[in-house]
Amino acid sequence: MKHVERARSWRPGPRLVSLVVGGAAAVLVLYPIAYLIQASLSVGDPQARPPEAYGLDNFLGLGRYAHIFGNTLLVAGVATVLAIVVGFTMGWILSRTNVPGRAAFEQLMAMPYYVTPLMGALAWGLIGSATSGFVNQLWRALGGEGHLIDINTPWGIAWVMALFEGSVAFVMIGAVMKSMDPAMEEASQVLGAGRLRTMLRITLPLVLPGVLGAAVFVFAEMLGSFSAALVLGLPNRFYVVTTAMYQLVSQYPPRFPTAAAMGVSLFAVMFVMVWIYRRIVSGGTYVTITGKAFRPRVMDVGRLRWPLLGLCVAYLGVAVVLPVLTIVYASFQRLTTVFPRADNFTLANYVTALSLDAVRSALWNSLLLGLATASIGVFVMGFLSWLIYRSRLPGAGVIEYVLMFPQAVPRLVFAFGMLWAWLVFPIPIYGTLWLLLIAYLTVFLPLGLRTISGVILQIDRSLEESAQMCGASWGYRLRTVTMPLLKPGLVAAWLLLFIASVRELGASILLMGPKAKVITPAIVESWFSTSSELTAALALLQTLAVAAALAVLFAVARRTVQPGGE
Amino acid sequence: MPGSPKPQVTRRTFLQAGAALAALPILGSTRSASSQTAAKVTKVLDFSTGADLAKAEQEGEVIYYGHDGEAAIAVLLEAFRKDFPKIKTSYVRLQTGALYAKITAERSANRYLVDVLQLSDISPAIDFQKKGGYEQYASPEYAGYKAEHQSSPAGYYGWGGVSFAGISYNRTKVKPEQAPKTWKDILNPSYKDGISAKLATSGMQHAQWYTLRKLYGNDFWQEFAKQRPKGFDARAQLFDRLSKGDDRMCVLAEYAGYTLFAEKGADIEFVAPPDGLPATAFFIGVVNRAPHPEAAKLFVDWALSKRGQNVYQNQKILLYGSLRTDAGPMPTGKRLSDFKLLFPTDWNDYVASHPVFVKEWNSIMGL
Repeated sequence: MKHVERARSWRPGPRLVSLVVGGAAAVLVLYPIAYLIQASLSVGDPQARPPEAYGLDNFLGLGRYAHIFGNTLLVAGVATVLAIVVGFTMGWILSRTNVPGRAAFEQLMAMPYYVTPLMGALAWGLIGSATSGFVNQLWRALGGEGHLIDINTPWGIAWVMALFEGSVAFVMIGAVMKSMDPAMEEASQVLGAGRLRTMLRITLPLVLPGVLGAAVFVFAEMLGSFSAALVLGLPNRFYVVTTAMYQLVSQYPPRFPTAAAMGVSLFAVMFVMVWIYRRIVSGGTYVTITGKAFRPRVMDVGRLRWPLLGLCVAYLGVAVVLPVLTIVYASFQRLTTVFPRADNFTLANYVTALSLDAVRSALWNSLLLGLATASIGVFVMGFLSWLIYRSRLPGAGVIEYVLMFPQAVPRLVFAFGMLWAWLVFPIPIYGTLWLLLIAYLTVFLPLGLRTISGVILQIDRSLEESAQMCGASWGYRLRTVTMPLLKPGLVAAWLLLFIASVRELGASILLMGPKAKVITPAIVESWFSTSSELTAALALLQTLAVAAALAVLFAVARRTVQPGGE
Repeated sequence: MPGSPKPQVTRRTFLQAGAALAALPILGSTRSASSQTAAKVTKVLDFSTGADLAKAEQEGEVIYYGHDGEAAIAVLLEAFRKDFPKIKTSYVRLQTGALYAKITAERSANRYLVDVLQLSDISPAIDFQKKGGYEQYASPEYAGYKAEHQSSPAGYYGWGGVSFAGISYNRTKVKPEQAPKTWKDILNPSYKDGISAKLATSGMQHAQWYTLRKLYGNDFWQEFAKQRPKGFDARAQLFDRLSKGDDRMCVLAEYAGYTLFAEKGADIEFVAPPDGLPATAFFIGVVNRAPHPEAAKLFVDWALSKRGQNVYQNQKILLYGSLRTDAGPMPTGKRLSDFKLLFPTDWNDYVASHPVFVKEWNSIMGL
């Protein structure tokens, strides 16, 4: 009986649980990373596993790819600045001002993320290529010479990347802005500051952790960005690290060690970014959610709301409407041209796309994995965010560094680490959807952490401490105080994880098994081996499937929370 | 252990053990070679197979790793499934380099997931053979092929079909009088920044580099580099861009890609230079320790048979010219013999040239 009572009274302490969860997550990340580092140090036969000899030759030889690293930093830097400007501006407009149709725009802002950079790049390639781009065809038809725009330049690539990552920045920054007590902005205005001054002097500093978190995240995303650089860079012989690595590992013989060394060298960049982020957030207080009750209110921006509305419409126009219309149009064409001809229209692309068994099963698998990754990930990553920023666990900072690793490594390269790691793992999950689930949970750790931690940093510790003083256990506090306050961040994270999983490309290419296929690699592969038109049809089908899945999920969620809905 | 005889290590036993160890690889290959059993040949549909059909159907599945596009593989596997509805098919599709990397990584971890392997380059096929990756299986359908179109020694893989490339240009961008006629015309500076080729360093691009280098000397491709060609991964991309006028000329214009896009209405032209068209085959074989060995043999027999070759040759998304001695014409009405094909004549030299090719080609493509 004593044993039973002892068992009943035993509760896992926060330290134990934190150590177990943090440790498991770290292992998940470090296990493949170890294989990756091992590969980067391999100086024997590049295909030999395990390596025949070790050395630093691969790192020392990276000098000949300096121009590619330069290209990568240029594109990632420009695209990050653009994306953060878009994300912050849209976040501010839709969270803090009384712009007309705010609620609807807020929903629509997720659309560029659904559209995906791949589809965006394909569409913008059709719109803005120097010769065959629709804009330039029209320009020449109107008597112009040469081309008006050229999307196959570093600026064009950065533009496309920013358009589609801008919505990620918006979701991350917007979640922070929504959780902000408007009292400080109101106080600023009462004291005579204008709207712009309030936005720059009060709103911006208060949401700085969210903005920085988004900037670090988006920059890392840009470093690892693949599809836009692949679709738009290759036609101009413009390589970034990911596209160069893709070529290195796709060629025969695949040069894994060089590709791995390239990937590992990006760790340094990411370490610096995380270090800067931690320095900034540890240097000040960003608490905007306190024990004091508040109701989020918006600012009346007067007539300024119409130009702001125009900005929202313009952004959605170039990031969603134009690309989607282009893709729809191209998907019904035999050979895409801006000038429609009756004999050029066809349904054949859809007939082919829907006849591919692999595509059908891949679409279903992608949705299933998206659901599982988002639902499991949001709990695990929510807990990890709390552990890093709230638990005061020794080594929490180290855990953060470790968990940010996947962000520093392009997913294609990380996938090689995972391939080698899970191939030798005794549990036979290689080639199954389970491996893809583990891969997604691992590679999207930074995405979930950044989204949720931006909100966590805004929650005053005193709220949890008050609950503790009232006798609540740590688990009870987490469940009844922290989690409800984190709800906007958690919902944003769920959404981001779902979409990110469905559109995932880099890790999936190598980890897919013959019976565990997902859709995005099939789309890229179609671009390689069939035609832009069939690829457009596939990309559109993917987007429609994701939209339909989200509509169903939202409808179910709404019904569940409504009274009598159960 | 008291009472148990203590093993004595004498010079003789030590040498015997060493000799046995040294002989292991040979013993291994002997075992491998002996696995080339004289299988009972049966007639299934209209082709011969050494596979046990009942066992193959009992296995119920064949897993194929290939380099062709998704849509092309789907057509191929659908045709096989139609003939053998009791055998499911699944596949992995990657470019030859990544595909080979995947299969070798799997095997190094003792994971044997694949039944049939099809590669677009002979170099990895030879390497895989050296590593003992193929099952030595003497398909009865090899009888329809010349000995030179099989692995050496025979039975590891066969040449399943041929692809070849010439020059193609966009007729709206290149006037007929300026159109290229010979391979040397691709060096004309007026085409600078308007030329495309493959970025891949395997298969057809290697064959083209090798054969034209033999014809025109080592400087040929260095001259070509001055044209700043743009590299893409697959033939569909090359023709997609050529059709839309993004590039004026494609110097690795595979005939299969040309016919597909010409049929779609693209205003493009195919040029067969008189010196010949670089050609390469794909290589298909049964993988050693395949999870579905009988189904794998059946698939390879089918693929090499006239029935399978009709699919490879007549489906326009595949359009591989058949090397069978009894092959009919392609859907365009042409036979392989109607083209002057340039195959490497010394395969050892060809394989040995690969590292030089990779280095030079990546440099040409700005990588």
